Amino acid sequence: MKCEVNIIEKTDSNEVVVDVQDLNVTFGKAHIIHNVSFEVKKGEIIGLFGISGAGKTTIIRVLTCQIKSKNWNGDVLVTHLNPAKTKNHQTILSKIGYVPQLELLNLYFELSPLVNVETFASNYGMKKERAKEVAEELFSILDIPEDTWNNKLKNLSGGEKKRVSMAIGLIHNPEVLFLDEPTTGVDANKRYDILNYLKILNRRLGTTMFIITHDLEAALICDKTAILREGELLAFDSPHNLIQTLPSNGLLVRLTIQDLTQEKIEIIKEFEYCERISRVGNIDIEVFLHDFEKNINPFIDYLFKKGIKITSMSRDSANFRRYFQILIQEEEEKEREEELKVEEIIQKEEELKNSNDGLENRGDM
Amino acid sequence: MVKKEFRLIRTDPWNLVIALLLPPGIIILLSSMEQEKVTFSPLPVAIVSNDSKTYINPNNFTKIPVDNYAKPYIDAVIKSFYLFPKAIYNTSKYPYAMEFARRQLLHSEIKCIIVIPVDFTEMLVNGLPGLIECIPDSSRITDIQSNLNAVYDSIRIFTNENNLTPQVNLIPNPALANIIPEINPFSIPQDYNEGFNSTLVIILPLMVFGIANVLTILIIVKEKPIPRLLLTPVKRKEILFAKFLTFSIILFFQELGIILASIFGGLFLRGSIIDLFLAIYMIGYSGLSVGTFISSVSKTKTEANQLFLASFVIMILLSGSFVPIESMPIYLQAISYVLPLSHGGPMIQSILTKGASIFGFHFYMLLGVSLILNILTLIIFYRRRYEV
Repeated sequence: MKCEVNIIEKTDSNEVVVDVQDLNVTFGKAHIIHNVSFEVKKGEIIGLFGISGAGKTTIIRVLTCQIKSKNWNGDVLVTHLNPAKTKNHQTILSKIGYVPQLELLNLYFELSPLVNVETFASNYGMKKERAKEVAEELFSILDIPEDTWNNKLKNLSGGEKKRVSMAIGLIHNPEVLFLDEPTTGVDANKRYDILNYLKILNRRLGTTMFIITHDLEAALICDKTAILREGELLAFDSPHNLIQTLPSNGLLVRLTIQDLTQEKIEIIKEFEYCERISRVGNIDIEVFLHDFEKNINPFIDYLFKKGIKITSMSRDSANFRRYFQILIQEEEEKEREEELKVEEIIQKEEELKNSNDGLENRGDM
Repeated sequence: MVKKEFRLIRTDPWNLVIALLLPPGIIILLSSMEQEKVTFSPLPVAIVSNDSKTYINPNNFTKIPVDNYAKPYIDAVIKSFYLFPKAIYNTSKYPYAMEFARRQLLHSEIKCIIVIPVDFTEMLVNGLPGLIECIPDSSRITDIQSNLNAVYDSIRIFTNENNLTPQVNLIPNPALANIIPEINPFSIPQDYNEGFNSTLVIILPLMVFGIANVLTILIIVKEKPIPRLLLTPVKRKEILFAKFLTFSIILFFQELGIILASIFGGLFLRGSIIDLFLAIYMIGYSGLSVGTFISSVSKTKTEANQLFLASFVIMILLSGSFVPIESMPIYLQAISYVLPLSHGGPMIQSILTKGASIFGFHFYMLLGVSLILNILTLIIFYRRRYEV
């Protein structure tokens, strides 16, 4: 197998490398993934977001041949091959890369970064010299200091280990690279570095990337984002397009209000064109208005009339974090409403039953 | 994969040092400790001869004063390397001879009283067994057999020199077997260190099996990146095979070291050196198989260590080294026969002293048990759920 780092600048391609249609995953009676569909084009960076238990890892496990086909159904193609067929596993695994969340599961800490990479490269049929060459190129791109290449990996910093892990995932120049929580456990300032490296690798190698993450900042480098909740795909599009679906295309007004209380928030909500309020701090709120440009001035007048003291005010655009929060909140509200409806129906049925019992008793008398 | 295994082993060089140098080191140490040859100081005895007394034939009441064979027997005692006749009494001259001899035995001046009965010669003349009575010092029960064996040597000389058919056949003491090879064809020649040989028969299987076991109990459970390796085109059987191959190579060098140290230490080997090498290798391989099996069934390192300890103690207890397998209850015997350690000792013993080929019951049992364990390990490793 010929493996090399092809340094190419990213070009737009319509080739679909991952195609998922109507994916359902079940383990016994537990239905983990519900009818998830999406497709990923070559060279895209996809972010899979969701709170814990949303099903992000399960989807990746299906795509990386880790879940037996008896546990899932749907039309899935990874690098044009169906992972449901065991005979395809070796080919799929030779075309994909994986960077686990924990370096402990990916790296031999007692060996050096170069030897680690060589070890994994040999599984793809790469010769030692070639593996070393590619590893050195990747280490250079990832800024892993040259004097650490032959040191024991356990002596490297957390960020360096993470980058070695990425190099291992990329050593065979995979078509798709899956990254599980690449920024978890990394210092806040290093998180951006990691994301930056991923973007550089994506641009230079043209590798399609799947990033599973809780870190909503990762959306900054994603071409498309998928938001999952309890096994359902709530949204799948570019962060920009998703934000555009918010009221007034994501335009909002951020307010700092003195002595902010829930009562004051309820008063603000009563404004006719107020679409949504998000509390973003002790005294800060973000307000989405219907037809922002037209209704911003009447809104400010309304606040003065109601005697709400504003310390500061700014106009802003929603980011992906805000979109994610709103989407999840909406889903939770919907769920709560449905629960309430069910409770009401049950209550009514019970009342009806009680009144029927009463009538029957009276009839008996 | 094999390279990776060697690289991982190299990260903990002490493991390799222990595996390769400890067994030869112990063997050299044992050989130097057991250098002293088995010696046998002549047994002080008193001979009480009644044979010169008049013998009255109970059939026809004739008196036959024949004592043709008493003197030749006393000569045989004197000639025997293992007997030292401290006193020779003729009861026809010393009526209290037996009392003197008893007193000597009581005060540990002698270890045995040999009594030549009154009808000794007559019995032999008539073609009947000529019985020699022995009264050994029974204060140390472990010495009784060796005392009797020493007396047997005098009988052997006597029968040889007088063209008589031996009527007595005592099983010789191992100490004697050293020096009288014609009695025991499997004995170790005098020039060799018998103690070293017999100790090795016990120590070698324990050491080789134990080290192979310790080396391998963590090879699967300890390797955290295995799930990640499985996300490459490598197959599970390749991972397992690489481990077996790596440790088999280490075993090869370990056994080579053991053989060299054993030869250097003066080991007596009646069989083929290749058979001995293969036997030790087979024991090591069975240790490797048990170790890998433990590693595949364990979920944590602690669990693997506990399993190792429990299984090793059971295997030693049921190996027959402490309690003979034949004297165990039938269900324990059945368990014992499927445990590798029960076969290591007998296999080594038969190659060393009997010159047997390796291809016997014990070898096939070891091979069978190891292969079954290998298959089980493969099945468990294949069924084990690995997720990253």
